[in-house]
Amino acid sequence: MKALSLEYFKIRRKRIWIMLTLFLAAEMVWASMSMSISISRNASNASWEALIFSISSMNGLFLPIISAIVVSRICDMEHKGNTWKMLMTTHTGRNRVYAAKYICANSLILYGVIAQAVFIVGFGWSKSISGDVPLSLLLQFALGTMLTTLVIIALHQWLSLTVRNQAFALCLGMLGGFIGTTSGLFPSGIRHLLIWSYYMDLSPITYVYNSASSYYVSGMPPMGLQIASLLLAVIFYSAGKLHNSKQEI
Amino acid sequence: MKNMSPPIVETQNLSKTYGGIHRVHNVNLAVQTGQIFGFLGPNGAGKTTTLKMLLGLIKPTEGKVKVFGKDLDRHRPNILNNTGSLIESPSYYGHLTGYENLKVMQRLRSLPGKNIDKVLKIVRLENHKHKKADQYSLGMKQRLGIAMALLAFPSLLILDEPTNGLDPAGIGEIRELIKSLPEQYGITVVLSSHLLSEIEQIATSVGIINDGKLLFQGTMQSLQAANKVTIRFKTPDPARAEKILQSQGYLPKVQGRQLLFTHLPDEEVSYINRLLVEQGLPVTRIEEQKKSLENIFLELTGKERSL
Repeated sequence: MKALSLEYFKIRRKRIWIMLTLFLAAEMVWASMSMSISISRNASNASWEALIFSISSMNGLFLPIISAIVVSRICDMEHKGNTWKMLMTTHTGRNRVYAAKYICANSLILYGVIAQAVFIVGFGWSKSISGDVPLSLLLQFALGTMLTTLVIIALHQWLSLTVRNQAFALCLGMLGGFIGTTSGLFPSGIRHLLIWSYYMDLSPITYVYNSASSYYVSGMPPMGLQIASLLLAVIFYSAGKLHNSKQEI
Repeated sequence: MKNMSPPIVETQNLSKTYGGIHRVHNVNLAVQTGQIFGFLGPNGAGKTTTLKMLLGLIKPTEGKVKVFGKDLDRHRPNILNNTGSLIESPSYYGHLTGYENLKVMQRLRSLPGKNIDKVLKIVRLENHKHKKADQYSLGMKQRLGIAMALLAFPSLLILDEPTNGLDPAGIGEIRELIKSLPEQYGITVVLSSHLLSEIEQIATSVGIINDGKLLFQGTMQSLQAANKVTIRFKTPDPARAEKILQSQGYLPKVQGRQLLFTHLPDEEVSYINRLLVEQGLPVTRIEEQKKSLENIFLELTGKERSL
């Protein structure tokens, strides 16, 4: 807990909250415009499912980049100030700091995901979308997004702490954003190999196209994918932690 | 008199190899409690690597480290609780103020908050504590690093080149601060430097390392005792003077127009002078020459060059 509270203390004046809020605001503005245009063209598009799907698909573009920036900001301060050796000369273990950084980064993204859920409810009410607020779908959306985030952050933390030049981590974030946006075009076999596609794959809403029509289907995301993402998070986190602990200072 | 208490820092055959090359080779250090131990050596001699091994920041290829009489491998957390350090450059979070940087350290080490103000005062940063560390001058950053190392008022303080980048006034301040630590706070100090003059002014004992090997270890007095006094006689005909003196059982070394003697008592200096003058050989100059610590250091390290 001490290491975690120190991580929050250390990111003061880093403006991570503001950056995160601005990025999310941009995403929300984009989503609002896109949904408003869609509803104005066809009133039947005003559904909670469409709204959640829209945010999930945009997350494929935004969250890899946001995650890369957040993790990079949290890890880079240790490189810049040569503070690893200072931390290692206290009894706080390197693994504890690693875990604190991981939890801190995930909690920041969780704040973003909660803000998205609030936006979905607010936007739905403002557009008078029929039906009750789908709390279960919103919860599944948040869970699916966070499961993907656990993997992405584990991967980024490994990279950001290993390579001092954060340009690499940010490039990976942008590449992830590109893959997350275009993943819907890939066959599922390939898509499931790319973790950035999981923002959509673990969303409770899917959009089904067939020759005659297209429609939204809601339901629990595949359990296999959920387990796979959890396993990937554990693998990336453990590998990163092990690699980091073996590095000489 | 020999200090019989166990050393506060002790290494046994400490070695570190990188790519088959010894950076530190069989170093046996022994630092006694209350000492200011100067670890002297040219750049790249293995000082930082040794100090890092003392803190467990890097693992030795061979050998053991004992601090406070305890094995570092097995008791590292306990040892670190009682050790402060500044290795290479100071560590700090540039976006945080000096005070906040110390706050991080204070919370990490679970220390009382009042220690922060105390160390800020010691390193004279109390008027700059609310300034971001990024805006500090090099000297202020160095002082912040020392403050962080001092924060716990540890029993052992390990400082790697603590005056690096400081101006002469800053060097003087840090020197006086380090010198006061054993007496005022009971802190044993191990500090490294490549500057002999610095070690000469601060340290009570010294270890000289070169190419990873410890060449000398002992008190500053014992290092100075290794200093041989040479007496030089200058005369216009040194060859004849040598013959005269050889006939009297002396074996001077001729160097240009000078005759060199080592370990010559005052009475013999006067006797040789009289002897040469009586033989009609004028003695134009008699000089006593002491080898400076720098020359001893250069001789030991075999580096007759700027360090």
